[in-house]
Amino acid sequence: MGEPILELRGVNKSFGPVHVLHDVDFTVRAGEVTALVGDNGAGKSTLVKCIAGIHSMDSGEVRFAGSPVHVHGPREAAALGIEVVYQDLALCDNLDIVQNMFLGREQLRGGLLDEAEMERKARQTLASLSVRTVKSVRTLVSALSGGQRQTVAIAKAVLWESRVVLLDEPTAALGVAQTRQVLDLVRRLAEQGLGVVLISHNMADVFEVADRIATLYLGRMVAELPAKEVTHSQVVELITAGRSGDLGMARPEAATV
Amino acid sequence: MTSTPTAGTRPDDVRRHNRTALLRRLHVAGPCTRAALAAELGLNRSTIKALVDGLAAAGLVAERLPVQRSGAGRPSLLVLPQPHAAVVLAVDIRVEQVAMGLVGIGGEILGRCSWSLRRGASHPTEVITRVADSFRPLAEELATDVVGVGVSVPGVVRQSDGLVHEAPNLHWTGVRLGERLSAVLDLPVKVGNDAELGALAEHVRGAARDAADMVYVSADVGVGGGVISSGSALRGAGGYVGEIGHMAIRPDGRPCYCGSRGCWETEVGEAALCRALAIPEDSPRGAVVAELRELAADPEVAMRRLGEFAEWLALGLVNVVNLLGPELVVLGDLFAVLPAAVVDWVGHAVRERSLVSRAVGGTRVVTSPLGRDAKLIGAAELAFEPVLSAI
Repeated sequence: MGEPILELRGVNKSFGPVHVLHDVDFTVRAGEVTALVGDNGAGKSTLVKCIAGIHSMDSGEVRFAGSPVHVHGPREAAALGIEVVYQDLALCDNLDIVQNMFLGREQLRGGLLDEAEMERKARQTLASLSVRTVKSVRTLVSALSGGQRQTVAIAKAVLWESRVVLLDEPTAALGVAQTRQVLDLVRRLAEQGLGVVLISHNMADVFEVADRIATLYLGRMVAELPAKEVTHSQVVELITAGRSGDLGMARPEAATV
Repeated sequence: MTSTPTAGTRPDDVRRHNRTALLRRLHVAGPCTRAALAAELGLNRSTIKALVDGLAAAGLVAERLPVQRSGAGRPSLLVLPQPHAAVVLAVDIRVEQVAMGLVGIGGEILGRCSWSLRRGASHPTEVITRVADSFRPLAEELATDVVGVGVSVPGVVRQSDGLVHEAPNLHWTGVRLGERLSAVLDLPVKVGNDAELGALAEHVRGAARDAADMVYVSADVGVGGGVISSGSALRGAGGYVGEIGHMAIRPDGRPCYCGSRGCWETEVGEAALCRALAIPEDSPRGAVVAELRELAADPEVAMRRLGEFAEWLALGLVNVVNLLGPELVVLGDLFAVLPAAVVDWVGHAVRERSLVSRAVGGTRVVTSPLGRDAKLIGAAELAFEPVLSAI
C-alpha cells in the first residue's frame, strides 16, 4: 500500500502547565474513514487544531503524502489539501451557499467576481456528491436545516479538491434522518479516495462508517485499530479506562517499572 | 394498459395509456415543452393539454414559462415532473454495505442513507429490520407518502415474488425477501438482480440511453453482468442470466467460492484488482479508489501496473461480446474508476479481437457515469414501473 496521506509522529502540545497531547502518533489513509474517539478533554479537538495549523505543536513530526511538512496556519493547511469542518460549522448565515463555499477564495474574472462560474462549480460539486436535497445554490445558509448546513460545509472540502477532511462532531446537533444522510455523505467522501477523519462521541455513528478507530485517552493515543477487529464495548473501555484486555495502555504495574 | 388482447379498447383505457406514456416520458427524459411532447408522442395538442391538465391537477407535474424562447409566437409551456409527487424507496444490498434512497419522479434522489455489513455475516432478518428502521425517519423528513419499493440484490432472484434463490457472497439461500419486506413496510416490493438493475439504470439514465443492445459489467466484491437486448432485459429461464463473473477463463487459475476454478471474477474482481495494485485484498473501497485515482495521473505507469489485469479484463469481454453481440459495454462500479488509459486499451483490444465486434461495427467500451449509484437508481426504476401506470 502507498504511503499514508497524513502521518503524525510524537506530537506534544501544552497549554501553559497543562500537557494536552503526549507523544501522539496518528495516521490518516486515503480512502478510509478514521474515527477519532475519546472522552471530553482527551485532546481530540486539540489534535485536529494542530493538524489544521490553528495551534502550533511543541514537538513532533508531520508528514503529508510522504514528505515532511510544517503547517504554520490554516491557510497553509488548506493549500496542502487539508480541510476541517468544525462543530460550529463556520458558515456565514447571511451569505448563500455559493458565497459560503467560495468564502475567502472567490474567483475573479477581469477584477470582478465570476458569479456564474462559482455557481456552476458549486452546483457541480453538490451533484457529484448526489446532494439533491438543496433546492437552489443561491439559498441563504440561514434558511437551511442542520443537515443541509453540514452538507454544504462538507461539499466545500470536495470543491477545493482536499485530500484530507477532518470532521469535528458533524452529527452532534442533528436529528435521526439528517445524521444518517451526513454519515452517508462521509462514507461517499472516503469512497472518492479522500482521507476522512471523523470525530464523534456516538459509537453507533463510528461503527456505521469507520474503517479504523483511533482512541485518545488523557492526551495519549492508546489504540489505533481496524473497526472490524474491535467491538463496541472494547472501544468504550478504551475511551473510559485507556485499556481493554490486551488493547490500549500497558497495565499500571508494568508501566511503573 | 389493463385490457387483455381479446377485449376491445375503451376510450378510458386509451386515455390511461396516453397518460402513462406522457408521465414515463417526463420521468425518463426530464422537463419538456407541451409542443415537443405532442411531437414526440404523436398526439394532438389538445390531447396533450387535457393530459397535462389532469396530471397538474393531481400534483404530478407543474407548468412554467420556458426561460429561453425558441422562435416566434406564444411560447409553449414547459412541463416539469414534480419529484415529491410520487416517491419510491430504492434499496441496494451489497456484500459489504446497504444503501437506501428515496427517489422521486424524474429520478431525483431526495434522501439517502447507508450502513456497513460485516462480510458474510449479515442475516436477512438483520437487513430487513435495519431497512424498516431507517425508512421511517427518511420518509418523515420528506413528508411524502412512499408508493413502492425496489431492491437490488447480488444474487439470483425470482422477480415475480422477490424470492432470493441464492446470493452467494451474502450467504443467503431461499430468502423470501420481497414478501418479508412488503409485510414490514406495508408497501409493494419488487426485487431484482443487481447487475440487471445496473443495466436498467444505464439504459434509462446512464451511458446506454441510445443503445438497444448493451451489456453492463460491474465489479464489486464479485463480478456481474446485466444484458439489455433489443431494448429489454435478457433474463433467461428464471432470471439466471448475468453470472458472467463465473465464466471459466483460466483452467489453472485460483479456486472460486462457486466450486469452480479460474472464474473471470478471480482475475478481475475486487481482490484481483487489489493484488494488481499491490495493496491488501481486504482494503476498504476508498483505498482502492484512491490508488486508482493516483494511477490515472500517469497513463504509462497505469498500463504497466495494470497491464495483466487489463489483459484478463479484455479476454473476458471478448467472450462476452462474442456471445451477446452488444453495441456498447458499460463498465460499472469499481470498473468505473479504472484509469482512462486502461479502459481505452481494453476497448481497443476488444474491437481488435472480437469477431462479433468487428461485425457490428466496433463495440464501444465506456465507464458508467452513474458510478456507485447505478444499482440504487436501477432499483428505483424497478419500483417505478408499476407506479407510473397506476397514478
